[in-house]
Parts: sequence; structure tokens; C-alpha cells
Amino acid sequence: MKADAAALPERLRPRAVFQGVMTPGSLDDQVLGHTAGTPSPLWYAGLAISLSAFAVGASLILYTFYTGIGVWGNNRPVFWAFDIINFVFWVGIGHAGTLISAILLLLRAPWRNAIARFAEAMTIFAVMCAGIFPLIHVGRPWVAFWLFPYPNQRAIWPNFRSPLLWDVFAVSTYFSVSLLFWYLGLMPDIASLRERATGKVRKALYTVFSVGWRGASSHWRHYEKAYLLLAGLATGLVLSVHSVVSFDFAVSIVPGWHMTIFPPYFVAGAIFAGFAMVVIVLVVVRETMRLENLITDYHLDAMNKVILGMSCLMGYAYIMEGFTAWYSQNAYLHHIFVQYVWGSYGWAGWLTIACNVAIPQLLWVPRFRRSYPAMLLVALGVTVGMWFERFVIIVVSLHHDYLPSSWHLYKPTPVDLGILVGSFGLFFTLVLLFARVLPVIATSEVKATLPGAQPSHRGGGHE
Amino acid sequence: MMRSDGRRRLRYWRSLAEYHGLPPTEEERVAEAAHGAAGPPEFPGDGVSRRRFLGLLGASAALAAGASCSRAERGTIVPYTKRPPEVVPGVANHYASTFQEGTSAFGVLVKVREGRPIHIEGNDEHPEFAGKTHLRAIADLLRLYDPDRLRRPLLYGKPATWAEADGRIVPLLRAAAASRGPVLLVTGAVVSPTRMAVLEDLRRVLPGLRHVAVEPLAGPGSRDAAVACFGEALTPRLRFDRADVILALESDFLGSDGQAPIAIREFVSRRRVEGRGDSMSRLWVLEAGMSVTGTNADHRLPVRPSASAAVAFALARALHEEHGIALPAGLSKEVLSAFGLDAIAGRVNAPRALLDALAADLAKAGRAALVVAGPSLPAEAHVASSLLNVMLGAEGHTVDAAAACRPAAGPATAEDLAAALREAKAGGVAAAIFWGVNPAYWLPDAALFKSAIARAPARIFIGLDRDETAEDCPIVLPEHHWLESWGDYETSEDLLSLEQPAIGPLYDTRQGEEILLGWAKALGAVVPAGYREYLKARWRREVYSAASPVPFESFWSAALHDGVLRRPAAPASPRAIRIAAVETAASAAAVEHAAPGMGLTLLLHPAVTVYDGRYANNGWLQELPDPVTTVTWGNPARLSPADARRLGLEDGDVVRLEARGRSLEVPLLVQPGQAEGTVSLALGYGRSTGSVATGVGVDAWPLMGTGSDAAGSPFLAAARLTSAGTRAETATAQMHRSMEGRDIVRSLTLARYAKAGFEQEKREPATLFPAQEFPEHKWGMAIDLTACVGCGGCVVACQSENNVAVVGPEQVRRGRAMHWMRIDRYFDGSPDNPRVVHQPMLCQQCDSAPCETVCPVNATTHSPDGLNQMAYNRCVGTRYCANNCPYKVRRFNFLEYTAAKTEPESLVFNPEVTVRPRGVMEKCTFCVQRIDDVRQRAKGEGRAVRDGEIVPACAAACPATAIVFGDLKDPTSEVSRLAASDRGYRVLEELGVKPSVTYLARLTNPAKGGDGHEG
Repeated sequence: MKADAAALPERLRPRAVFQGVMTPGSLDDQVLGHTAGTPSPLWYAGLAISLSAFAVGASLILYTFYTGIGVWGNNRPVFWAFDIINFVFWVGIGHAGTLISAILLLLRAPWRNAIARFAEAMTIFAVMCAGIFPLIHVGRPWVAFWLFPYPNQRAIWPNFRSPLLWDVFAVSTYFSVSLLFWYLGLMPDIASLRERATGKVRKALYTVFSVGWRGASSHWRHYEKAYLLLAGLATGLVLSVHSVVSFDFAVSIVPGWHMTIFPPYFVAGAIFAGFAMVVIVLVVVRETMRLENLITDYHLDAMNKVILGMSCLMGYAYIMEGFTAWYSQNAYLHHIFVQYVWGSYGWAGWLTIACNVAIPQLLWVPRFRRSYPAMLLVALGVTVGMWFERFVIIVVSLHHDYLPSSWHLYKPTPVDLGILVGSFGLFFTLVLLFARVLPVIATSEVKATLPGAQPSHRGGGHE
Repeated sequence: MMRSDGRRRLRYWRSLAEYHGLPPTEEERVAEAAHGAAGPPEFPGDGVSRRRFLGLLGASAALAAGASCSRAERGTIVPYTKRPPEVVPGVANHYASTFQEGTSAFGVLVKVREGRPIHIEGNDEHPEFAGKTHLRAIADLLRLYDPDRLRRPLLYGKPATWAEADGRIVPLLRAAAASRGPVLLVTGAVVSPTRMAVLEDLRRVLPGLRHVAVEPLAGPGSRDAAVACFGEALTPRLRFDRADVILALESDFLGSDGQAPIAIREFVSRRRVEGRGDSMSRLWVLEAGMSVTGTNADHRLPVRPSASAAVAFALARALHEEHGIALPAGLSKEVLSAFGLDAIAGRVNAPRALLDALAADLAKAGRAALVVAGPSLPAEAHVASSLLNVMLGAEGHTVDAAAACRPAAGPATAEDLAAALREAKAGGVAAAIFWGVNPAYWLPDAALFKSAIARAPARIFIGLDRDETAEDCPIVLPEHHWLESWGDYETSEDLLSLEQPAIGPLYDTRQGEEILLGWAKALGAVVPAGYREYLKARWRREVYSAASPVPFESFWSAALHDGVLRRPAAPASPRAIRIAAVETAASAAAVEHAAPGMGLTLLLHPAVTVYDGRYANNGWLQELPDPVTTVTWGNPARLSPADARRLGLEDGDVVRLEARGRSLEVPLLVQPGQAEGTVSLALGYGRSTGSVATGVGVDAWPLMGTGSDAAGSPFLAAARLTSAGTRAETATAQMHRSMEGRDIVRSLTLARYAKAGFEQEKREPATLFPAQEFPEHKWGMAIDLTACVGCGGCVVACQSENNVAVVGPEQVRRGRAMHWMRIDRYFDGSPDNPRVVHQPMLCQQCDSAPCETVCPVNATTHSPDGLNQMAYNRCVGTRYCANNCPYKVRRFNFLEYTAAKTEPESLVFNPEVTVRPRGVMEKCTFCVQRIDDVRQRAKGEGRAVRDGEIVPACAAACPATAIVFGDLKDPTSEVSRLAASDRGYRVLEELGVKPSVTYLARLTNPAKGGDGHEG
């Protein structure tokens, strides 16, 4: 800190990112302690619900494998529906984590430390959920590996011009980098857990996964460098992965898909949806795991500000879509835009606008940014709204394309709904397991912000 | 390691020459090429280091483990130990044969591969069909392999041998013969002279034989009118190719009428316009329900069927009074005094000017006019149309009675059969034999059928499958399919066609004639045992001229080869009309049967697809969208938009339809163009037997009338519609009716075209990409929308040729029909009487195909001859290509539709076309198997492919020859000429996808005086 903190006006001083008195020891006790002992009945109940949902989804996926995707509602011309909606939805959710960890790290936003770990884990789990859909949506999943460029005696390569192939690369790269980034950040914490672990199996596992971390300064030096490099790498990926996902649509000639605005529009939407999901889960974790002192109102306020900003961007994108439809004088595009709001699925268009643009405007009021009911309303609304936004983009655009003779309505089947529920089941199952066995807060990073952790002219830290 | 001379030393060498670096000899090259070693892909054989080799080995082993998880089934391939001489594996044989339906007989060519008939096309040697045939003839191939077919005789429902069956039947017949007791034999119309001879032989030994040759769709109206007017019940041959002006009264001659392929070919021959100076015929249609013919009309007037006769008489009066055309000698003009154009125009709610224009048009055409009345109209309408034809001089020109069809027996109407059954009920019968007919299904009075034959000692059924009538017969005898049978047909005096088997009998069945011959023999007749011998003997006796220089065997095999025999025809001559008939009809027409006050008039009509219900078990026909409604798998009642509004009903409402004291519940379809006050319902649905047919649609036959009915025709009835309060979704292929103002089907009037041509804006965008190179050929297609009547023949032909799956009503409802070729139909203008256009839509084989770029696995690629290819094996099923196809012609196998089929169903598959499993995308290939077949043959013969030599299945089946296929690289080809036509345009060319299919703008020819049906 270059400037003398005391000399700064109150509002310009760096904010405290935790409350109360905290020492490295108390922090470890609070965060790492959760992994020991018996979980609460609430945790078991949550796990039972999410596992059941997951089981429903998994069995319906097996049923789909057995019969063919005809058991879904997809038809001609709506060849993509829940499958790709869910894919884009989950990839979008998976955006917040890396954004928080990588971009906010590079921007030196200190409030990220307490929530980064959790957000990253959510990213991994959301991308896992997303990854299911491209695999199960193909007609012959048993040959889905043909999408990968592997050497074969037939000398057939995938089609490098296809956005779906770009998707394969973009999503798999994003997933591997996010996983590495997350795991790298976990190493010092796992080492702490190793030290605290009592059970034999537990100890062994933590020992293996901490890969010999001793906290030596050489470890820290390498760690910091690697972390920074991965953060740099992940930053690009945050922007690229959803841009590439948007190419699935933007590169096609379907009216309503073929739009230059799509990449930034999709990235903004993804961050929006991701932050909303982080807020939902964070509120639950904060309350159930008693982390109010670490995840403060200030954190939630900052998150909600991002959501508000993104909401405004979404509103702008929607308006631009309409403007393009009108200004391009493209009759097909014009027709589709009218369908978004006045067609058979007009309700979905209005629901999207209400959830994504109208309701989040509540967050202009500072009180609502710190109020659970308000932020949960907004976050749940955004989650629903963003799902329906993809519904509008995918289903509504497809159901009325060029030749009116082919127009057909789309209706999902119970199998479609079941698989969607199943993906939520998988997500929350993984979240619950994570909260149980790994530190939900990056203790090593928070320790770095504790008083005295950083060198200072005054010999103190924050206040 | 390099040698000092710079050449590389080979570690392995195949010959000394190679070791010394000499080029390989020709033989070596050939041998190498044959071994497949010369072509890609290969890793350079001697350039692989050990390290790289091991690397590749490891990678391949790992990946092969995954790649070898194939689901392909392993069948067995067994070669012939003794090959039949005519069978060359991989080479198709074609046999000329004949398909009969009612009083029509269609000349066909049966394509046979390795002994299996796999496709049916028109017989190109046939003078009337000229290589075209009816879509139902094409589709009836499926029936040969129908698993529902009877495989052996059944006695009281239990399988039996023929000997057992004969052992039961013959004594009964012997008793009947001895007592001269009545034996009722019910068949379809007999147009086969030899079949008739068999029946005569049987009658000789079975004197009590009472034969009723019944066609349920035979209308008494036309027969009664023909008898009354001309003294003979014959159906004259209508010459649409000679007609300048055609007036169709409730006649669907382009659609559900039996002779449709001939009518379409001849009608379109006068609609084809090559240049701006050409003329076209004009079609006026007055009808209640929108029919295929109505959709092709230049002027269409929605008219209640009960008013048709009055309109025709009013036209006769106008022709006489305003255009000075003489009435037939002896007919007083007072007879027509009740029919004023003004009054009629008011009655049918049509503009007077339009009726004037129609009268003027007819008068101007004179003998080149043609008035056609549909079979559902009462006799007076037929008399009135005959009167018009006689007055105009069309009788003997466009109406050719000399070439009329004179069936050897029949067609009797359902009412005639009912009369015979009543007689049988009263007097008792010794035996009742039903051969190839299903009266238990279509006889309106089903109770009569049951009670009449209940006490017959022998109830015998001869047929293909166990239908409703078979259920009522204890003795069920299975018959050959027509593709397993011999036969001959005489549809007119100058034309004889032959039927010959294209496959041996699949099951323990017998040809119907042979069964009858067997009985005749058992009863003491001296007849040849086999029907083939019988047929040949009769031909030697009756057809072959002893004076001929050709020996009979050569004559016979030539006739079998051609499938048709032409004999000198009598010239067309006009017939005189009987005045009394006109007088009676005029007084009948003056009073409208079902007056508007009584509510609605029900109009029953045959379905274009399943006809009278005999094809209801055929999945291809059930799934073929109706050309007008695009409804599949069912028969909704059709009501006009105005009536629907009045009754508060809408599409999909289930209604209770009451007529003739009976009622049924049927889903409703609001039909633009339906005449107000009428409701149309297709016959042929609601069967209760057959694994495909059961429960599809509703059975409308019980609403059919009897001869003494007040409506004047069994097809018409006063009806009442009320909502049943429920809803039912019909399986409609096309959900949206409007073109939404989009530039998809371009049309203009002939007058405008003649005056100014057709200036079209070129809308193809500029591109940065270089144009594609096509080194040898560039296949393309031209579709003339003026010629296309929208019949759907191409759709069925494509389905048969390309193993296109039938998916069933539920899947159609969900938008998953698999047709590679579809006919889009759009309504334009007022819903009360819209303009209708049809557009065949298939893969446009775009040069810049949007589907190709987005496939992640390269499963769809472009061929050097301009085809957009689909490698099913490679398809993963992402469906991205289909999303990106602006024409939505790609079809996805959402479920296992076809590949799980087993024999006999799988026997119908064309072995040249892959059967697609679930999860892969498919689409039109331009019949690539036919292209390759011709190319290989041309190559073998050392010549280039000739223009017109390659004919895709759709083009081959099109009765209108609206579809032309060929090489766009050859500037002299027919398709190039059409593609360059000023009427040519490409659908959605503004997208820059460069489709290979050119559509020729639709021309209509409305009269100047009329308000123009064309917008």
C-alpha cells in the first residue's frame, strides 16, 4: 500500500473483507473444521434430495440411450431443444467461478478471496453438468468420440470448420484449465487438512492430494507463479468459451441465430447467470456453515452489483437484437423477433425480459443488495430467466425458419424435464460433497489478507 | 541412408528393377493398384521410423479398442450354388405387368433385384401411361410383403391345407350344383376377359351362380345418366389433351379418380409453356370440397354439389341463348327455362360475370371444351354435363366413347350388392363367395351383410389378408398378390395389357382364378389346371390372329415383354343424346335436394391415398400427406371457415356428424375453399382389421346412402354437426398454411407472361469465395410448378426407392415424418376461396451447402459432381446440419424406425440404398444409386452419359413430367435449358447457398372476364 491508509478518506480506504478478530488458527478451525465430525441432518437431507434427482436424470439418460432421442420432444424443425439449452445454461453457470478467481485476481479485487474457492468448484461442477449434454444429445452417443481429432487408419479427421468442433476444444480446454486452477489453489489447503486429519483413510487421501506440499518458500514461489500464469490463461478462456458456444448459433444461417452480437452477448449472459448461481449457493453455505464473518454483506453487495451491471448489459443486448431485426430489413429475422415476444412462445420472451432485465433493477437499492429475500428473488429469477433466454434463442428461432411449410411447435416430454432435473441433482450432489470434504474457503488466500500477513510501512495490515 | 548417386537405397524391394531405381512396369502398376496399395490413405511405407511406428502402434491400439465397439450386425452371406440364369447379383431385372384397381388397369414395370420386386414404375411401352403410373400402384408393392398377409388357408380360424379346404368346399358346391341352388359370388369389377372366361366356365358347371361385380365407389349417378342419355352404361375416355377449356363439376380427375395418371399427363400436356407465345388450356372447377383438381383450377367456385346440375343447365341455356349454340334436335328451350344464370349466380353465391365468362369460354372452345361431372353427383348433373358436351360438339372429340372402358362385369354399386344380399336373405343361398372384396367393411348396412349370409352353408373368402369380410367367413383362402399372379386386362377395346408374376408365391397361396378353376374342374368342367396355361390358351384362341406371320410363342413373349398389346381403335364418334333424359334431369335439377335451410350437405369422397379403404393397411399410403389437407393417418371432416365460425368450431375439435339417422365422431379440419353449407369426409378409414389400418380415422361408409335416398346420390346427404366437446390432434404434415408473403412460390398469369415475360430480380448475393469446380458433371434438377399438380406420386416413389421409413401418426404429429421428398402446399388469398400452390421440396443439393460446413465429423460432404452427400456410417447425429438447412429437407432418425424390421417387411428394401439406423441424419440423394448405375453402364460401354438417361425415382413417377433431372454442365441438356428459362428461379437464393434445383414459376390462365382466381 503506497498511500498512508489513515490519511485517506473513509470511503477510499480498502475495505475489510472479513469481520471480527481472526487469526490463521481461528480461520483454520472455522473452515477446515467442517470436514471433521458428523454432518448435520440438513446436509443428509440435501444430499438425499439431490442424489434422487440425479438418479432420475441418470436413469432417463440410460432410457434415452436405449430407445433413441425420439423420447425427447425434439422434432423437425426444432432439432435442438432442452439438450442444447441445458448445455448452454450450464456452461453459462460455469462462468462465474473462473471469472472470480482469475479475472478478479488479476484485477486485485480483494473481496474475491473468500468466495473464489466456492465459485471455482461450482464452475467445475457446472461444466461437468454441461458436458453431459453434448454427449447425450447426439443420435449415436457411442460414436461421439469421432468429434475428437485422433489418428485413425481411415485417415478421417473431424471437420475443423464446424463450430461444434470448436465447442469440443473450447469446453474441454476450459474444463481442464479450470480444474487445474482449482486444484492448484487447493493444494496448500489440502496440506492443512492433511495436518488436521485424524482418520487413517482421510489422512492418506489428503496426503496424496496435497502432493507433498510443505509450505516451503520455494513451494510458494512456484505456486504463486503457476497460479498467476493459469489465471492469465483462464482469463482468456472465460471470454473465449462462451464466445465459441455462441458461434454454434452465430455461424449458422438460422434467422435469430445469425447475429454478430452473439459472442459478447453470450459472455455477459454467462457471467450474469453464473453470479446468480453463486449468490444462491453462497447464501445457503454462509447460513448453514456459519461463515458470516468471512462471507460478509460486503461480498454479497459486490456480487449483486456485478449482477446488476450484467442485467443492464442483457437489456442492451435484447434491445440491440430488436434493433438489428428492424434495421436490417431482413424479413426472416424480423419475423423471428416478433415471434420472440408475440408468437406462440411469446410468454417465454416476456419471462426472459422480466427475469433478466426488470427484476434485477431492484438491486439499484443498496438495502436490497444486502437483503436475502431480495437477492434470492433476483438470483432465482436470473437463473430461470437465463434458462428461458436460451429457450427463446434455440427453440423459438428454430420453430419458424425460412419455409413456413416446415414450421412446427415444440413441446418437451417428461423425459426432457427429468434430465434437466437430473442435471441439477448432479450439480448439487457435487456441491454438497465438496462442502463436506474440502475447504469451501481458500484459507491460504484469506490468510494472506489477515493483519500482518503483508509487509507494510506501518508494520500492520488492515487497521 | 543416401547412395552416392543421390538415389535412396531401398531396404525392401519388390523387383530388381525397383532395387535399381527403374520405374515399375505396367503389370506391376496394375497389380499394385488392384491390391489397393496405390491409393490413399497410407503412411509412407519406408519413411516410418521405429519410434514413430511404435508411437502409431500404441495410439492405434488404444483408439482401436474404442473404435471397434461397433453395433453393426453380422449377417451371413451365402452365394448361390446354382445361379438362376436370369439372376445376376447386383443387376436388376424389369418385368412389365399390370395393376388393377376398380375399372382401371395401370401398366407398370416391376424392378426385381435378386428375385425380389423392390420398386414399381410406369410401363414406358404403354401408350396411355407412357412410363407413368398411379401412386397407389407404386405403393401396393408394400402389400406383397405385408406381414398381415394370409399365408395358408384357414378353416374356422385354424390353419389348414388346400386339400382340407377343397375337401370341405367341393362337396358343398357339388350339392349346390346338383340342386341348382343359388351361389352368390361377389368380386370387384372384372376388366379381365380371361378372368371373365373363368367365371363363365364356373357358371357352366354351377348354374345357380349369381355374380355381383361390385365397386363400392361406383356412383349410380354417372351410370344411370349414361344409360338414360346414350342407352349404354359406359365410361367414355376423356381426352384432356384435346381440351382447351375444361369444366369440372365436383370431379377430382387429377386426384382421387382412378384414371388420374392419364388425366394428369394429358391435362399437363396442354399446360406446359415453353415460351411466351405458347397457349394453355383453362380449367374451371365448381366443387364443394377442395380437391387436387380444385387446387389446380384457373377459376374455382365453391358450389354445393346439389346445385351443380342447375349450374350446368343454366350454362346450357346461356350457351343457347347468348352464344347461339343449337340445342340437340327435339329439345325444347322451355325445358331449360327454369335455369337463369342470374338466379343460379344468386343460389351458388357466385359473381354473375364469372359465370358469363365461363359460358363464353365454353362457347369459344366449342368441341375443344370438356365438361366432367364427378362420380358423387346425382344423375341429373351427369345428364346436364353430357348435354353441354353434346351441344359444344365435345362429344366425339374430347369425350371419346369409342375408346370407353367396357368392363366384362360390373361395376355394380354397393346398392346392387345390397339388393343381391336381400334376395339371398329371402331365398337362402347354398354358398357365398367373396373374392377380393370387403363388403363387411364398406357396405353401409353391415347388419344386412351379416344376416344375409349367416345361414349360407358355405361362406368362402378369397383374398390377401384377413379383413372384416374374412372374419365373417369360416373358410378363408389366401390369394396371390398381383405381383405373384398372371392375368390380362382390357380397359378399352384397343388396349389389352398383361399381368405376369415378378416373384414366386411367398406363401402357400393360390391365384384366385386357379381356385375357381379347381372348383370348376372338381364339378366336371374340362379346363387346364393352371391359370397360366388357361390364359395362354385363351390368348392363342381369342387374341392371336392365326393369319399372323409371327408364331404364337414369339407373339406371346413379345406381349409379355411389352406388357401391353395395341389393337386398332375405332375412331371417336359423337353420340346423340336422348331428349327424354334431359327433360327428366332438368325437372329434377330444378329442385335442390338438400336445400340450404336443412343445415349442411355431407359429401363423401374417396381418399387420394387409401381409396375406398383397400389400401388402409399400407403404411406408405397412410403416411402420404393428403395433397390438399396434408393430413396423414386419418380423415378429418372438412368444413368451411365461415361455417366453422358460425358453429363456433375450430381445427381439432371433435364433432358429432349426423346423417341418414346415423352419427359418428370425427375431428374437424377447417378447410379454406370449402363451399359454405357443406362438409366433406373421406371414405376408406376406420378399418377394424389389419395391424396398420385398425383404428386409423373414422369409418364413413355407414353414412353412405342407398339408391332411393332423397339426396339423389349415395355420396351426398343432409347432415348436422355438433361439437362433441373433446379435441383430437390430427397428424398433419404441414402445420402452417400461409407463405407469409415470402418469395417461395412465384406465380403469374399467362396473359402477363405473354405480354411482358417474367422479369426476375437476381437475388443471389455476392461472395468472396471462388465458385466450385465440377470437373465432369454437375447434377441438377428443374421443377415446373405449372406442371406439378401436387398429386404426391413422387413422394411414394421416393419412399419406395430409398427405403424411407414409415413412422406412424404419433411421430408425424410430432413433426418427425421421414419423407425425403415432400409437397409443400400454401394457401393464398381469402380463406373462403384461396389460391393454392404446390411445391415439391427436396434436398436442393446446394453448391455452398450450409449443412456441410457445420457437421463436426464430415459426415456430409460435397461430391465432385455437385451432390451433397450423406455418409450415414459417419453420422454421429448432432442434427446441426438439419438446423442449418434453410429448406428443412433433412430427416433425422429419432427412433429405430426401419433398421429393426425383419422379413417379410425387410424384403421390400432396395438393396442399393442403405437402411438407416436410429440416430443418423438422412436426406434426398438425387437417387445417387441410379446416377452411379447409369454412369457405370455408360463407362462400361465406353460412352458418355446421355441426357435424360438418369431418372431419379421422383422424376420417373411424376405423371406430369414436372421434374427434369440432368447435367447442368452440359449446356444442351434439358435441365440446363429449363434452368436458363426466364421463369426459372431458385428458392431462397438470397441466402447464397446456390441450390441446384431450379423452379419454374407457376403460370395460371384465368379468363379475362372473370375476376381471376389468381392473385
